[in-house]
Amino acid sequence: MLALAGCGSGAGGRQNVLHPESHAERRIDTLWWVMLVGSAIGFGVIALLLFLGWARRNRDQLPFGGGERAATILVVSLGIAVPVVVLATLFVWSDIFVLRSTAAPSVKSTQMTIDVVGRQWFWEVRYPGTKAVTANEIHIPTRTRVNVVGTTADVIHSFWVPELNRKMDFIPGHPNRLLLEADQPGAYRGQCAEYCGLQHAHMSMWVYADPPDRFRAWLANMAKPARAPTTADERRGQRVFLSSPCASCHTIRGTNAHGTVGPDLTHLGTRTTLAALVLPNNRAALEEWLRDPQHVKPGNRMPRVPLSDADYRALTTYLESLR
Amino acid sequence: MATTEVLGLRARERIGRLDRIWEERPGLVGWLTTVDHKRIGILYFFTTLAFFGAGGVEALLMRTQLARPDDHVLGPSRYDQLMTMHGVTMIFLFVIPMTIGAFGNYLVPLMLGARDMAFPRLNALSYWLFLGSGCLIYASVFLNMAPDAGWFDYVPLALKRYDTGLNIDFYALGLIFNGISSTVAAINFVVTIFKLRAPGMSLNRMPLFVFAILAVSLSLIFALPALTVDCVFLELQRRLGFHFFDVGHGGSALLWQHLFWFFGHPEVYIIVLPAFGIATSIIPTFAKHRMIAFPLVAMAELLVAFIGFGVWAHHMFATGIPTATLVFFAAASMMVVIPSTIQIYAWTVTVMMGKPEFKAPLLFIGGFITFFVIGGLSGIMFAAIPFDQATTDTYFVVAHFHFIIFGAAVFPILGGMYYWFPKVSGRLYHEPVAKASFWLTFLGTALTFFPMHIVGLLGMPRRVYTYQSGLGWDAYNLSETIGAFILTAGLLLIFGNLVWSRFRGPPAGPDPFYGGTLEWATTSPPPHYNFAVIPTVTSPYPNWDRDDRAEDARKLEAGELVLEEGHETPASTVRDGYLDEVLEMPSESWWPLTLGVFVTLLFVMLLLAHFVVAGIFGALCVLALGGWHAQEPAEA
Amino acid sequence: MSEHALPRRAPRPKPLAHPNGWWGMALFLGSEAVLFGALLATYYYLRFKAVHWPPLGTPEPKVVLPLVLTAILVTTSVPMQLALRAAQEGRLAATRLLLAVALAVQATYFGLQIHLFLGDLAKFSPGDHAYESIYFTLVGAHHTHVAVGLLLDVWLLLRLSTGLTRYRLTGLWATTFFWHFVNGLAVLVVLTQVSPAL
Repeated sequence: MLALAGCGSGAGGRQNVLHPESHAERRIDTLWWVMLVGSAIGFGVIALLLFLGWARRNRDQLPFGGGERAATILVVSLGIAVPVVVLATLFVWSDIFVLRSTAAPSVKSTQMTIDVVGRQWFWEVRYPGTKAVTANEIHIPTRTRVNVVGTTADVIHSFWVPELNRKMDFIPGHPNRLLLEADQPGAYRGQCAEYCGLQHAHMSMWVYADPPDRFRAWLANMAKPARAPTTADERRGQRVFLSSPCASCHTIRGTNAHGTVGPDLTHLGTRTTLAALVLPNNRAALEEWLRDPQHVKPGNRMPRVPLSDADYRALTTYLESLR
Repeated sequence: MATTEVLGLRARERIGRLDRIWEERPGLVGWLTTVDHKRIGILYFFTTLAFFGAGGVEALLMRTQLARPDDHVLGPSRYDQLMTMHGVTMIFLFVIPMTIGAFGNYLVPLMLGARDMAFPRLNALSYWLFLGSGCLIYASVFLNMAPDAGWFDYVPLALKRYDTGLNIDFYALGLIFNGISSTVAAINFVVTIFKLRAPGMSLNRMPLFVFAILAVSLSLIFALPALTVDCVFLELQRRLGFHFFDVGHGGSALLWQHLFWFFGHPEVYIIVLPAFGIATSIIPTFAKHRMIAFPLVAMAELLVAFIGFGVWAHHMFATGIPTATLVFFAAASMMVVIPSTIQIYAWTVTVMMGKPEFKAPLLFIGGFITFFVIGGLSGIMFAAIPFDQATTDTYFVVAHFHFIIFGAAVFPILGGMYYWFPKVSGRLYHEPVAKASFWLTFLGTALTFFPMHIVGLLGMPRRVYTYQSGLGWDAYNLSETIGAFILTAGLLLIFGNLVWSRFRGPPAGPDPFYGGTLEWATTSPPPHYNFAVIPTVTSPYPNWDRDDRAEDARKLEAGELVLEEGHETPASTVRDGYLDEVLEMPSESWWPLTLGVFVTLLFVMLLLAHFVVAGIFGALCVLALGGWHAQEPAEA
Repeated sequence: MSEHALPRRAPRPKPLAHPNGWWGMALFLGSEAVLFGALLATYYYLRFKAVHWPPLGTPEPKVVLPLVLTAILVTTSVPMQLALRAAQEGRLAATRLLLAVALAVQATYFGLQIHLFLGDLAKFSPGDHAYESIYFTLVGAHHTHVAVGLLLDVWLLLRLSTGLTRYRLTGLWATTFFWHFVNGLAVLVVLTQVSPAL
């Protein structure tokens, strides 16, 4: 069963601690396998002793014929001497050497910085030095040491992309930093790992590692203001958006919508999922979400706004157009 | 002394006198006013079992919701309340009161050769306070406002801004209240253990179970105040607008965590130490051999508790505290392993040295050792900081602590129930069914909690009310749910066996298993006064010293150490156990129940923010204490 | 009755170990020590995270008066201990007098401290900042313990009005222990309370 976990099972394997895609995570992965082998040996010794106890239950001596003194020596050597040596070794290796790879990187050693703010129940992502703001989807260039600076706007969240690194808590007033680096292009799934309220279970994110050119193009697009509507439907949708409560909670750069309660929607059309990976980003799912967000993600901060069917459809068309 | 011996006339007269002095009123009134530690232990036992059932139902509901991805058995609000209440119930309302309130209360005076605890009325009070706190906390469930921020209730989530109802107030006030009960019980145990030992029972002749209770009690006394202070801060902030935890006004969210875990880590040793004590009682009896390295084991029990106070921040490895802090706490966490490994090897070597008879109690201890080793090994992994930072807050840690709490704390409780059932009820349990109940429970436990290691490594965080399909978690979750139901069947079989045996089991006699400690030196069940003759002790296994016990019969006839002049028990010196004086003990009283009711009402009024009325109940508490202490022992 | 059982009627030999009640108080005080440890630790933890302590706009604590009052409180350990000694020697009148003297001084201390406390509350409030919150909680917890001590003194005086028994002696022993603890703690609390102004 454990070996299966190591290989990454089924269609997933996407949030797998033992599927390392970075140097830091590889160190953690190695640490795990060594500790597992050590544990198996330790467990084996106890299992053997218990088995001997059962198998030799009609004899009241140790297997090699020792008496109480030998028994005490056995307890002291196995119970004190051996553990002291093993634990000291483990301590030095994991808590002094491996720790260096997973500790917060010095800013000088990183090549770019991303600010992430945990909010109930999505991740706000900003690229300092640009105007790019997005949510729940982080793009990084491959083989680049990225300094993620994390805070929270409300309660404690924990940022965790298992295949890339350990988790890091986002605590009010206490910005924390985490190294994010991917060896190869791909999609790496993450999830909030500190219970943060009703929809903690639905606060996931994607980290896309792109080849540097693709990343630069993506970032340049993200920094632009929203694409203006070109069709009648899109224009109608924009009108609905700006005249409904939507604009008081969301920002679409380049329009009058400057709300900060919910995620930035300027380039919603480029994202692969909605509502922090609850729904795929396609027309049907988006309209389902708009019609009744509380049904999809009960307890989240987006209320049900009653609109006509035509308005819902126009709104969906408009939002989809925000590429 | 054996009850099968023919007693002389004088002996029978003395026993009659003891019966009359120590008997309590019949019926319900007797139970409400009891100060007999055995009755209080039984009250604790059934009350904690009820809470165990509640916590179990909460677990089964959660597992049903998690059996399949994206299921809708429970919504997030209900699930979050269940998740929180499961932790709070199992820890504060089941495991601790069961191990110290039920097992500790019943057994410690018997094992020490005493007639009761040092403070019998305080003992009763601890029970009524426990019951009151449990009822207060559970009232929240029936009002659909149960605490819902997790059993460690982190801020800011637990602050009024994010949790507006009374849910968290039930939590904070409930735990302060529950803490009073535990503190009071712990003080009682320490004084009893120091002062009420039988003549000749020096500290190094004290049973290992008693050492465990001593370690637990000292830990409770020194750990609970941190939790109390934390909850007081939380209530002051929520109710009166104080600022402890909000950064905007100079507070700190991590302050909650430091105070909580300063209590919380010793708490987990408090949970598991009595289990060690039960194991060290069962093993020598069924292995028919004294515990190997007895002084090392006794010291290890105390050392685990002591070192356990220095490791709390290992629950905070992912919070961004400085590297030096991380490394210090990891080092301490490695160190705390050693006293446990000493004990594990002492137990297994004792089993090897002896001629073990694998009756049900010893099977449960075998299960305990298996699960404790696995849980302990995963615990050691968490002392490797980078690994902790990867797997904390995932199902890997849920697996770790359930192996320890269920595997290592509950299995000895189950084994202990079988072991001491004959003593408490006077009847034997059904052995073949008991063995079957062990295997079923063992299988269920393994199937429920082992897959959690894997699903945690596959990235499943904890405290999620549902999960999405396609991440490789589905099959493991389903098997965990199936395991939970198998485990439930095992537990029901155990209880069924005990209930049936209570009415139909053959008589047990005083010592069916040839135990070495003093509870086996009296009848099953023991009389109210425990021992007709206070036993004199010359070794750590006094019931195996048959000459000493034969002396007791002679002493009964001669009237030595019978202490029949009143409601009496001997007090000893602390280290050497020399007979120091004879104490007059209180008999039944309404004061513990009365004070318990006033304290409960005080907390209810605080919960409802009726501070003036609360003040009135506080004054009534003070008056009740006055009435209580106005009764003094008869003396020259 | 043989020589194995200690005679219960007079003369009662003096036991070697401290009475159960004394041990109970000792352990209770252990728990209270951790309680105050947590309060003090909170004070210093919040302080060393803060830039301004007290925060701007909050007056610095008074120094002289609290220190003087605490010194006076600490001296009451002397009459309490003497009262205990007198009781152990069976001198009831001396016990009651010394206890009454201690109570009078402790009550005066308490009254003055409450006056200062209320005065502080009028000037700054716990709802302002963490400084005020921990200040009032720490100082308030100390005053609560003093109040409990006063109640214990009153109770003892009432009971001792009808004579001295072993039970009441244990009560006095435990109460004296309580006061030594409170007095020692008072020093730590007041030094913390005035520390920003030192």
